[in-house]
Amino acid sequence: MKKLMLFVFSIFLLSVIVFYVSRLAPGDPLISYFGDRVEKMSPEERQWAEEKLGLNDPIHVQYVRWLNNALHGDFGISYKYKMDAAEVIRSRLGNTLILGGTGFVLIFVFSLLLGILCAWREDGWMDRVICKLGTIISCIPEFWLALVLILVFALRLSWLPSSGAYSIGKNGDLWDRIVHLILPLSVVVISHLWYYAYMVRNRILEEVRADYVLLARSKGLNKRSVMFRHCLRNAIPSYLSIMAISVPHVLGGTYIVEMVFSYPGIGTLSYESARYKDYNLLMLLCILSGILVILCSMAAQLINERIDPRIRSGDVSADREVNKT
Amino acid sequence: MMENRLFRVVGIRPLPQRPPERKRKWYSGKPIFSIVFLIVIFTGCMTCEWFMTKDPAYLDLYNCSVPPGREFLFGTDTMGRDIFSMIWYGGRASLFIGIFSTLLSTGIAVCFGAFSGCAPAWLDELLMRFVEIMISVPGLLIIILIQAVLGPASVASISFVIGITGWTSMAKVIRTEVRQIRGNEHVIAARCMGGGFFHILWKHLAPNFLPSIMFMAVMNIRSAIAAESTLSFMGIGLPLEVISWGSMLSLSEKALSARAWWIILIPGVFLTATLLCITELGNCLRRCGIKRENNLS
Repeated sequence: MKKLMLFVFSIFLLSVIVFYVSRLAPGDPLISYFGDRVEKMSPEERQWAEEKLGLNDPIHVQYVRWLNNALHGDFGISYKYKMDAAEVIRSRLGNTLILGGTGFVLIFVFSLLLGILCAWREDGWMDRVICKLGTIISCIPEFWLALVLILVFALRLSWLPSSGAYSIGKNGDLWDRIVHLILPLSVVVISHLWYYAYMVRNRILEEVRADYVLLARSKGLNKRSVMFRHCLRNAIPSYLSIMAISVPHVLGGTYIVEMVFSYPGIGTLSYESARYKDYNLLMLLCILSGILVILCSMAAQLINERIDPRIRSGDVSADREVNKT
Repeated sequence: MMENRLFRVVGIRPLPQRPPERKRKWYSGKPIFSIVFLIVIFTGCMTCEWFMTKDPAYLDLYNCSVPPGREFLFGTDTMGRDIFSMIWYGGRASLFIGIFSTLLSTGIAVCFGAFSGCAPAWLDELLMRFVEIMISVPGLLIIILIQAVLGPASVASISFVIGITGWTSMAKVIRTEVRQIRGNEHVIAARCMGGGFFHILWKHLAPNFLPSIMFMAVMNIRSAIAAESTLSFMGIGLPLEVISWGSMLSLSEKALSARAWWIILIPGVFLTATLLCITELGNCLRRCGIKRENNLS
């Protein structure tokens, strides 16, 4: 119950902050509604337009009106698309979910495998090579990786398309969509993979140094069953909670990728809406991502509590804290 | 290994062959290559006036998108600027942004984290909720919004924006550390003798948590440089006239259609190499934990 209150309060605060900051920022929302015609408008017409969109009231009046409508399920219209903001988002959400969701699953699986592999062969040549390679790859900025891949695979070799989610007129063609997904997906996966794989590797190596491993080995269990039955089982919960927190992180990564590949998703949408002051759309996007982040961190906390009941009794927000007093 | 047909000895292993003290070189285990590379980049950027072959801002419209050659070592971009000179000149902006915004974010994080760590429980809870909300808004949106309030982007304003958005995770770490040591006798003694908040922070708390945030600070430099280049690339960071590694890459859309690989690859390689060397440095700082033996083998 307390968590629910906190959740609602956080979202409320978030909406207030975003509302105020976005309206205080200079820039003309009318441009996104009327396009270039704004420059030819007379002052009277401008006033009429602002009146119509409800932009000339003081900010707190606007906020109360927005909140009232939002609680009734009406998030206002997008100025640019002249549609319900919720409708605009719904039409784009699927694309982002496909990209981000597939990417997330791939990252989850591959980083686990890679981490186990490296931990298994600690300090062997394979571990060293993968570690070096991983460090290098994790340093490459996402957008530059995307550019290089476009340069190589789309322009030089012309194997894969460089932008969009599907070719014109081939909306329902599954193969076409997959081909368009390969490059963005590989950027999302490659740029995040090593961070989590390294985390898995270090977590397992920490586990391998524990005393119970020595006990299990001296009991006669072989290396593999100790690793997979005992070490991995202890390491996975903390990996799960980290992955839960990382959902927004990966999603934020898809934003940039979407922009480079001009992939029609939430990322391009939120960039446009912040840039061109599409207030209602921006609010909804911010609140959605806020909800996602808070839900994910709550999920992570829940996982942690399930595994280690000591956390619940102690300080809630500190996961590593040792009570010294 | 002591091997037996029925039993296998675990947990005992021969001592690793450690080279004798005098034979170990002073540089062993230190990322010498990265440090040298960073020094070269840094001094090269600071003294670029002495060896630049062209004026980096000059638009040589007769020589647009010229591939690398003798006159233009790294070629020219789509506006006819010499990329070789731009790299050194633009590196200044990128490095400055990295260092300045890290100083800013570290300063905020230390003050905020230490204050939250020393505060009573309810205030601590409130401040941590605030941090969580800060984390929950996508960083990109905050940056775009603040940038819009500050007006047209310059090197100083960009580093300010990156600095005041990048302190949250470090503040959380500092707060945890401070909460662990604030009950220690030496802190209580200092407080009883009437030491002020900043005195205690600087003399008694900071030396304890500095090692653990050194790594984060170095990594912050890296992420600040990366953030600047990403922002400039998307067109919300530095404008084209202000030369930095990021703004050089913002021409890449035109470069893609002109198939001019050098405009994209060369600044990117410099950027990535610098980021990599900073990461190596950070990893070296982190690698001073206790080494315990692997019990599995």
